[in-house]
Amino acid sequence: MKKRIIGICLAAVLAAAGLVGCGEAQQAAGEASAPAESGAPTTATGTANYIGEDKMAQEPAEGTDFSNLKIGEIESYVINDGGWCQATHESVVAAMNDLGIPEENLIVLESIGEDQASTEAAADELINAGCNLILGTSTGYASFLSPIAAEHPDVIFAQWGNKTDNLVGYDIRSYEGMFLAGYASELMSQAENTELGFAASMNEFSVRTAINAYALGAKYANPEATVKVASIESWYDPDKESQAAQSLIDAGIKYMGMEASSPAVPETCEANDAFVVGYHNDMSVLAPEAVIVSHTWNFAPIFKNIMIQTAEGTATPDDFYYWGGECSKLTDFAAFVPEDVVAAVTDLKAQMDAGDVDIFAGPLNDNTGNTLVSEGATMADEDIIQQNFFVENVQTTWKAGE
Amino acid sequence: MRKRFRVVKRTDVSIGRRIFNPILFVLLALLFCGIFLAALGFNPFTVYGKMLKTICTPGGITRSIQAGLPLMFTGLAVAFGYRMNLNNIGGDGQYALGAILCVGFALYGPEMPAVPKIIVMFLCAMAGGAIAALIAAIPKALWNVSETILTMMLNYVFLYVLNYLMYGPWKELNQMVAQTRVIPEKYWLPDIGNTGVNSILIIVILMAVALYFFHKKTTKGFQMEVIRRSPRAAQYSGMSLAKNILLVLGVSGAIAGLAGFAQVTSIIHRVQADLPNNAGYTGIVIAFLAALNPLVVLIVGFLFGALQISAVAVQVTGVPSQVATMIQGSIMLFVIAGEFFIRYRIVKVKDTQTEGPPASGPPDPDIIKEPALTVEKGGEQA
Amino acid sequence: MTTALLISIISTAVIYAVSVLYAAIGEIFSQRAGVMNLGLEGIMLMGAVSGYLVAVYRQNLVLAMIVVIIVGAVLGLVFAFVTVTLQADQTVSGMAMLVFGTGLSGFIGKRVSGVNADLAFQAFDLPGLCHIPIIGPALFHQNILVYIMYIIIPVSLIYIYKTRPGMILRSLGENPAALDSAGYNVYALRYGYVIFGSAMTAVSGAFISLAQTNFWSDGMTSGKGWIAVALVVFAAWNPLIAVFGGLLFGAISIIGIDIQMFFPNIPPQFFAALPYVATIIALIFTTGSFRKRRSAEPAALTIPYDREKR
Repeated sequence: MKKRIIGICLAAVLAAAGLVGCGEAQQAAGEASAPAESGAPTTATGTANYIGEDKMAQEPAEGTDFSNLKIGEIESYVINDGGWCQATHESVVAAMNDLGIPEENLIVLESIGEDQASTEAAADELINAGCNLILGTSTGYASFLSPIAAEHPDVIFAQWGNKTDNLVGYDIRSYEGMFLAGYASELMSQAENTELGFAASMNEFSVRTAINAYALGAKYANPEATVKVASIESWYDPDKESQAAQSLIDAGIKYMGMEASSPAVPETCEANDAFVVGYHNDMSVLAPEAVIVSHTWNFAPIFKNIMIQTAEGTATPDDFYYWGGECSKLTDFAAFVPEDVVAAVTDLKAQMDAGDVDIFAGPLNDNTGNTLVSEGATMADEDIIQQNFFVENVQTTWKAGE
Repeated sequence: MRKRFRVVKRTDVSIGRRIFNPILFVLLALLFCGIFLAALGFNPFTVYGKMLKTICTPGGITRSIQAGLPLMFTGLAVAFGYRMNLNNIGGDGQYALGAILCVGFALYGPEMPAVPKIIVMFLCAMAGGAIAALIAAIPKALWNVSETILTMMLNYVFLYVLNYLMYGPWKELNQMVAQTRVIPEKYWLPDIGNTGVNSILIIVILMAVALYFFHKKTTKGFQMEVIRRSPRAAQYSGMSLAKNILLVLGVSGAIAGLAGFAQVTSIIHRVQADLPNNAGYTGIVIAFLAALNPLVVLIVGFLFGALQISAVAVQVTGVPSQVATMIQGSIMLFVIAGEFFIRYRIVKVKDTQTEGPPASGPPDPDIIKEPALTVEKGGEQA
Repeated sequence: MTTALLISIISTAVIYAVSVLYAAIGEIFSQRAGVMNLGLEGIMLMGAVSGYLVAVYRQNLVLAMIVVIIVGAVLGLVFAFVTVTLQADQTVSGMAMLVFGTGLSGFIGKRVSGVNADLAFQAFDLPGLCHIPIIGPALFHQNILVYIMYIIIPVSLIYIYKTRPGMILRSLGENPAALDSAGYNVYALRYGYVIFGSAMTAVSGAFISLAQTNFWSDGMTSGKGWIAVALVVFAAWNPLIAVFGGLLFGAISIIGIDIQMFFPNIPPQFFAALPYVATIIALIFTTGSFRKRRSAEPAALTIPYDREKR
């Protein structure tokens, strides 16, 4: 009996082998046109056409016609998820309203899996529907959109995350807002002599950015401040999120940051008289007594600029946006936050806007004792965006990448 | 005397009915959803037209196949297990471990010429799937612990292993996406001619044909059927349930593991976090809709791929993604419910006799049906 | 370990357990009647969204629960029609319910996603009992749905094992043909238990959106329906073991987060996987046949009843 099973397997293996044999010649022939997918397109921010923050105030030239601008938006989940997708979608809508682009010029595709077939199908649909600007809002789309963009030079593809070939890259210096939030949290926490915590979903660059900036902000307020991370290990799981917050609270933490998609962390904090910095969206709506302030993703200025450039025909696939300021936006502080804390944060924000505060300035060590930035130096944008480290006052069992 | 309806079992079911009936119920489902869509203010014809137009293009077909490929493997895996009443819900975990071992060997294994390397990758994927399944099969075979729950729980475990590797040690350097780097191009399986369809399709078709003949023609296939119908009778005739459970679940897992091989060699050429994306669960639906027939699994798997692609397309007409999901659910529900009319027909009869004997006393448990496969030791079970 | 920490762990475990127990106990009844519903997740989501909708627009928790139970019952009716009357395969029907429920709940919940209902089941002290050290604050400072669960557990045990309808229920899943010949209407009974199970599952969903947390978002149950299904088999169709299973799972998942920090060299994914590994090990020990007990699985589970075949 066993032989027969093995026979089946062998038949399949042989079939595979045979196909490979036949295919090799064909593959060699096709090698000249190396697909964009291999070699993992990476361009350092330095070599891309970096669009500076000075363009944030740019308004469209007189007589720019937006009526032909059709925008396609690819979202990995539903746009009313109360988290990431909602934040990006609201930014798109805000930018369109700002430019007076009618709503019917936007096509949103929700719940598009980050797999090749779905991404290609989505891009195809949008291109056929006449979209000339397509926004990929999740990093997983990059490698699939890149070759499609190469085939459609008339369509501008913008992709969140680091710069990928053929795609306009965009991201937000979210560390700016989180730095302020960490600063505020530590000021409040210091008054009660407690440590800070952070409920974090996954060990991923955008999450590490939030944690590190929060910790650096805390350190700016108090050189001794530490941030203890509770990991959720899921992008969406209200149970685990709530348990992570509970675990921090049980460890005596009263003030925390978060990077999670549901309002479970703020609600748990509210039930336990603890406080949290909301993330993605204004979370004070669902837990008004616990949310100190929320860090929101405001892509609107970036999207607005991309829309202008696309409509005016000046956008190129080499463009790269990495903006802070208005984009890394904090909501208004809750009424329960002491006035002197709000004043101190406002003051720090003014110093940052004036360029007097360098968040990733040396000397800066990571949490394993290595030097990240030496005295007098500052970190390069490529390294800031990747965040392959945890700063020294972060307590976590996660290991940052290489 | 009153007229009433009565269901009567069909004695013979023609091939035509087997094919026609599901189509009829898909149409009924579309009618139901059409009314719903119209109530929401969408023109159902526009929506369905869009779906059809998207799928019936060369690109649509290629993509449907591509989206359907992992589902075909997991569908075959579930169908194979269920041929012996073993419920393999662990397709996701087996797929994940298969993909891990396959890409692990491709990226970190020894340098080899393409053909032997791909063969070893193929075996790695099968071994990964088989190991994941055997962890559940061993307690099932030895102590009759529910394989349904074991395989389901193991999904979570292996997905954590996968995500640990994708977000951690195996993550591609200087990239933000939680995925490995692409495997060298010489280990990719080629497309079939210039159709854009990868040759992995031939492998899955060969596999389905082999499984079909395995069930039809081989002694082992016959044994599985005997065990499915009556484990007890099978045991009396000297078949070892434990051995067969290990074998069948192991093979089922190995087939699911090949979904990982398909991804690594033919589709995305790498492994990502959360790669299985519920393919194991969808595989259950596919296997059952295909009535456990491996050849039909391929067709249903393709149709599910098409459904996935059309769910993208209908959103262009303004239909929310949730409604697209609902349409999928309704089609499934209608087709399953429609099965009834393959097996039965409804006739009008004149009712003359009263219902069954009158109620009396507690029921006596005398007739025992054989449900899911259970391992018995010395006939201790009631 | 401080008392406060212990109380917090137990309390979190209780909340977690109750959130799956309504569904699990409902499913125990349904499976004991011979019908397995794998679509719990979809029904849970429907319960969660319908309860939250009523809470937002009518500001009435009693009405919300009535609507939730009706919604659950209607879905149960559909499921029963498909699986009992049309005798469709239960596994795949359940999967269809799952997909359908997920889509429909997401669609009808669009308007309340991110909206604050400002209305939830609040925890309150149970007089007297709440003063017991540790147990008091952990178990008797909870919301009304938890207290109702405290009543449902013994009642369901007594019903299943000590009453005549309970005996009929058990034979419904073991030997429906015998019941039929004794004059019981197998179809009607199965309809009843499937509808009951589905309504209970919907309550689980409402517990999640209105008691455990207080919001609605698409797919918010994040796999709990599957945990409930697993719990049923884990518990060998016994509500009391299901309670322990739920508590164990909840406790291990919070302890996993608590102790992460003490093991900096172990990847946190290991702790995240721990509840599942523990369930597997416990399942082997509680249901493994080396314990010389007969399998508790209802013999006619997943087998549609067909009078013609009698």
